[in-house]
Amino acid sequence: MIKSYFSAFRMRWKMETQYRGAALGGILCQIFFGLILVALYRALYAGRPQTLPLSAVVSYVWIQQCCFRIVTSAESGILDSVMTGQIAYELCRPLNLYGYYFVRDMAYKIVGCGMRAFPMLVFAILLPEGWGISAPASLPGFVLMLLALFLGLLCACALDNICMAATMKTLDNRGVASMLNLLALSLSGNILPLTLFPDSWQKVITLLPYAQMLDAPIRLYTGEWAVAAAPRVLLVQGVWAVLLIAFGAFLWRQNLRRVIVQGG
Amino acid sequence: MDTIRLYFRSMKMLLRSHLQYPASFILQLCSQAVMLGGELLAVLLIIDRFDSLNQWSGGDLLFFFGVMSVTFYIMECFARGVTSFGPLVQKGTLDIFLLRPRGVLTQVICYQLDPRRLTAILVGVAAMVMGGRQSNVTWTALKALALAEAIVFGGLVVLGLFFIEAMFSVRSVKSIEVVNALTYGGRSACQYPIDIYPEPLKILFTAVAPFALTIHLPVSYILGKNLFGWPDAAAFLCPLAGGAFFLIMYVLLQFALRYYRSTGS
Repeated sequence: MIKSYFSAFRMRWKMETQYRGAALGGILCQIFFGLILVALYRALYAGRPQTLPLSAVVSYVWIQQCCFRIVTSAESGILDSVMTGQIAYELCRPLNLYGYYFVRDMAYKIVGCGMRAFPMLVFAILLPEGWGISAPASLPGFVLMLLALFLGLLCACALDNICMAATMKTLDNRGVASMLNLLALSLSGNILPLTLFPDSWQKVITLLPYAQMLDAPIRLYTGEWAVAAAPRVLLVQGVWAVLLIAFGAFLWRQNLRRVIVQGG
Repeated sequence: MDTIRLYFRSMKMLLRSHLQYPASFILQLCSQAVMLGGELLAVLLIIDRFDSLNQWSGGDLLFFFGVMSVTFYIMECFARGVTSFGPLVQKGTLDIFLLRPRGVLTQVICYQLDPRRLTAILVGVAAMVMGGRQSNVTWTALKALALAEAIVFGGLVVLGLFFIEAMFSVRSVKSIEVVNALTYGGRSACQYPIDIYPEPLKILFTAVAPFALTIHLPVSYILGKNLFGWPDAAAFLCPLAGGAFFLIMYVLLQFALRYYRSTGS
């Protein structure tokens, strides 16, 4: 059982690594966006310094840009699959479809992220002081960040699968699903770092599932959340991961019970 | 004249085809509002935290954001077809366009309409109104003219950037994300006045993709501030650079189309 999930993961992995040229274009694009954002926050800080250091905001921007792929979902596969009737074949496989799509999504995110993040990180490290990413606050903080990143990835995939379940039901990936996606961009700190949201909002926002994807790992990296607070952070992430996966799997079971096979 | 009539007829038909699925259409309208609303929220939160940016007050920043959004999304709504050059080339549909007794560009522009963007335009207008009020803009005929110039010539710059994308897709079949950086990066960057950026970005968006000349100069005039220290007349003359940019890209695109080779599938 585990083995078949693993091979689904590997298949997707191989497919994603085919598009290295597109990845290069994506990297340049993302770097350009990163530079624009850093320039903006530098100008804002020059006028009115904040308690949160500028270097933390700059690091926040770079990690967000590097891991952009974790937040966005690109899985339109399920819609095609239902619309063309392909789903009938997939249902024949001795696999839980939720798990199948979950690992596929995970491979997509890990490969997409990995291929882009490493060159971009090198670039962001080489940038002059004040423009580039700064070193992690502490070594344990860095290790905890990696752990948090993995839990964040689980949350992201679970959220995607919930969107997919909604798409399956409405057969339209531009309505509800796209709205959830756009909400994710704002609430995960991609458009504006969550650390710059009003302090009173942050208490609530950081507890939402969207903040678990990248915001929590980044705060551990920049040391805004101390190592001592890490168990609480990881617990929140873990609880969300379990809840979201359970909810998604439930929706999928409901959907698959009466799936309409289309196409011919 | 005939071409314009053709355009309006196509737009009418396309709009009707979008309205065939009312529920989906309304949801898409909402999702566009959510999208630009999210960005507007970011600007509002930045103003809340930082108050001002160099010489620009919060109201000024909102106004800049509004004008840029309105300009960009009007083009995305009504000239959406130009951005679909990539798929047209990949599928070989462009061959059909070449056979018809009309210009390729006319047909491409008439090929798609993106009415979902209407709500994004509305969000932009709301930002403009809010910003104008907060900055106490007193409207005169000249200021209205400056705003019209900003939107028209800024729009031509956007269209010119779409043309660059089209050229790339004609030449290399696959649409190239790097050009996207200039189009969408330009939109993101130029939501804020150009003078906050370091020299290389300033040059890029003044001399290459002239958003600073077409949008930022007239908008600063409307807000009663001076962007580069140039005389007021510059606010009315410089936007014409957008027209020049558009013409150059138009000629280059015509040139690129001569070397079009069908994918034949």
